[in-house]
Amino acid sequence: MNFWFAVLRQVGRNLRQTWASQCMTLLTVSLSVLIFAFFYLIYTNMLNVGDKLGDDLRLIVYLNDEPGPELQEQLRHKITDFDQVQEIRFISKTEAYERFAKQLGDNRDVLKDMPKDFLPASIEVIPLKTLRSLNRVKLFSEYLSKLPGTLKVQYGQDWVERFFYFIRLLSIVVILSGTLLILTTVFMVAYTIRLTIMGRQAELELLKLVGATNNYIRTPFMLEGLLQGLLGSTVGLVSLFTLYQWIRMRFSGPGILNLFNFTFFSPHILITIIVASILLCTVGSYMSMQKFLRI
Amino acid sequence: MIEINDPSPPTIVELIKVSKSYPPDIKALIDISMTVITGEMFFLIGMSGAGKTTLLKLICNMETPSNGLIEVSGQNIHRLKGKSLARLRQKIGVAYQDFKLLTDRTVAENIAIAMEVSYKKPPVISKRVKDLLAQLQLSDKHDTITGELSRGEQQRVTLARAVANSPTLILVDEPTGNLDATTTEKVMNLLNKCKSSGATIIIATHDESLYRHSNHRIMELSNGKIRQINGGVQI
Repeated sequence: MNFWFAVLRQVGRNLRQTWASQCMTLLTVSLSVLIFAFFYLIYTNMLNVGDKLGDDLRLIVYLNDEPGPELQEQLRHKITDFDQVQEIRFISKTEAYERFAKQLGDNRDVLKDMPKDFLPASIEVIPLKTLRSLNRVKLFSEYLSKLPGTLKVQYGQDWVERFFYFIRLLSIVVILSGTLLILTTVFMVAYTIRLTIMGRQAELELLKLVGATNNYIRTPFMLEGLLQGLLGSTVGLVSLFTLYQWIRMRFSGPGILNLFNFTFFSPHILITIIVASILLCTVGSYMSMQKFLRI
Repeated sequence: MIEINDPSPPTIVELIKVSKSYPPDIKALIDISMTVITGEMFFLIGMSGAGKTTLLKLICNMETPSNGLIEVSGQNIHRLKGKSLARLRQKIGVAYQDFKLLTDRTVAENIAIAMEVSYKKPPVISKRVKDLLAQLQLSDKHDTITGELSRGEQQRVTLARAVANSPTLILVDEPTGNLDATTTEKVMNLLNKCKSSGATIIIATHDESLYRHSNHRIMELSNGKIRQINGGVQI
């Protein structure tokens, strides 16, 4: 009989004897993974939404007067002095009128009595995709508002700010639920293993007396922790996937979910969550066993 | 060619000025010095509380001495740790006075545990367990939960576990305390068989019938001190 055969026999025997507490731990690990993965899934999807919105981000600088070609060149230089941009587009008053009329579609008649230069000229600045932080956007907006002849700068401030704050809140929730996952997993697994150790104190003492090595005593418990981590995280992630599919089916019509490409975790993230859970549970078992073996 | 003959017989256990105290100030053993020769059967006798069990616990490293040196197979056992200690313990079979059986496991499982830790193959373990149970008249108890056995039967299971792994040193604490004359004989036959195979056996007992007509060495303890050593070859 080799070492691993003996260890697997021990694991099987222990799982049979302590299946009730093992199930409770499995449930706790699954729930912890589910809570964390749920918030993390929302967070990653919101980050994707943020990226998508960032792609459409443009700052509109309304001007007092329509700039001539020389002034346009000066403004272009001043803008690029602050930061490289993807594109700078000058919109004349007439162009603005045409765009507005186009947007109104069938209702363009309302503009019939209006002069064609009633809208201000503007500059559309499309920043580079690297300009993602709210502070940088704000700073850029403030800089643009100080350009000569500027009336106002617009980029959907309120909406962008709220969205960035929502992302920040979500990241805090993800960190908290991650911490919760780590604490509950380590403590629950360590607690279950400690209960098992107490229940099998006589046997473990005897094993030492008949010459079992520390590895012989410790490895079955660590394998149990590993199994808890593997099964618990798999159950948690499968539950989340089921929930995700249900939500997708339930809200398959036109709705907020269809505005964005709401996706599940990539295999890479799934494997990372499973491996992290396995590590946490194994560490929990190891900690409990170390305390016992130190006696 | 010159032959060098070592005059001293090979020793397996050596105690030099060993003392053991328990708090607050109970002296269980005082300045015990003794040697056990490889392959001999050694009796440790004395009244209850004389220190026999303490001495066996010190030899198998269940407890550490307050003073003195204990060597088993030439190694100071109280300095051993980890794998070396585990390996040495696999070579020492102990039949405890309080049995130390797993009362929720079967008789076979209790005996097998000593062989499992040294990774013996399952067919070998199974054969050895059946063989030992037959020798101790417990064949019909193979799958019985140990907690359901009488004290006499439990005592025999403990002994079977102690000798199962064919250890080189067997420590037996009161092996016949709960047994009738016939079963006592069976137990002694098993121990003698182990001795014939080369094992050293130390028996702590106050059952005079076990050592009265034997020519084995006997050490008597009284109040934690050696009172006398009789029989066999004096060391």
